Amino acid sequence: MRHLAILVAFVFVIAGAVAGTSARVEGEVPAAPAIGATIEDFTLPDVNGTEHSLKSLAGKKGTVLLFIAVQCPVSNAYNERMEKLAADYKAKGIAVIGINSNVKEDAAAVKDHAAENKLSFPILKDAANRIADKLGASVTPEAYFVDVNNKLLYHGRIDNSRNADQIETSDLRNALDAALAGKPIEKTEAKAFGCTIKRA
Amino acid sequence: MRLSRVVIAVCCCLVLTSFTAPAQKKGRPAKTQKPVVVSAIDTEALKKLVTEERERPLLVNFWATWCDPCRDEFPDLVKIDSEYRPRAMDFVTVSLDDFSDIKTSVPKFLGLMKATMPAYLLNVSDPEPAIDMVDKGWSGSLPATFLYNAKGEVVYKHFGRVDPNELRAAIDKLVKKTD
Repeated sequence: MRHLAILVAFVFVIAGAVAGTSARVEGEVPAAPAIGATIEDFTLPDVNGTEHSLKSLAGKKGTVLLFIAVQCPVSNAYNERMEKLAADYKAKGIAVIGINSNVKEDAAAVKDHAAENKLSFPILKDAANRIADKLGASVTPEAYFVDVNNKLLYHGRIDNSRNADQIETSDLRNALDAALAGKPIEKTEAKAFGCTIKRA
Repeated sequence: MRLSRVVIAVCCCLVLTSFTAPAQKKGRPAKTQKPVVVSAIDTEALKKLVTEERERPLLVNFWATWCDPCRDEFPDLVKIDSEYRPRAMDFVTVSLDDFSDIKTSVPKFLGLMKATMPAYLLNVSDPEPAIDMVDKGWSGSLPATFLYNAKGEVVYKHFGRVDPNELRAAIDKLVKKTD
């Protein structure tokens, strides 16, 4: 009987420890890399299941990683702007890659959403929010701009307003333009505002 | 045969009731409830609201209708509001929805929640200065809840869905229980 009690207690302790270590505290997101840090190459599948590395999709002069969503109205308010950004800077050597890390949005939903909204840049599915954790991404839309050596040059919002007619500061474009011109980026970080990424 | 007809009729009534009852509940607020008014607030007015000295502590919840955890926690906040605001604490909500929602989805949701605390909507073209003013360490993720003492100092903050008991404990530290 005593052995049984000890066994039961042991099981509870182990279960508690496992629950404690695996459960994520809501609102808690890993810290983002500092500006100037190097982002390690990673691999994620696209919406058709084909694996791509960051290196394979990177632009000759840098890459923008955009965390986006299917259902978030803030992210959706940026669809046209994100597509235009990708088109404008593709010719200048900067690639745009979308990443969907929302656990509730599967690859099929991401594919349909991209087609409906005419998003032509590659979108990767980060099913286990591994890359969102690695980069400390917390909301959609949220942008990271890295140079050819994957050095982080800018992190944050695309611009100041979800309403295209209220844009006063195009922070991401300013960062890209400065980098392309070989000038220092004045504002390397700006708080991204949008829907919280739903993590696994 | 007659019995089966009765059973079918009862089932039809139940199905109809299940469709109509929630619609009435959602679409029509209780007759006694006043229409929810949401006021626009800019960064300066928000600063004044949260930092000025006052007679009672102030709880501020930042939220948006498109934010799932914000909607999920709202019933808890309404309950806490009814427990503390009448006797010991002020409570305001600040929506970060689009300004075009100030007379539509925001008051509609607050009405559904039977929320009666003063409600604001942040009317700014750039939310960053307001977010930084509230807390430099706040990324802007929603929901975010701040408890200010009567001096306008933050004594408790929580990002993500609140734990009602934890929030009550923080409030209880500030207010004397009268019951």
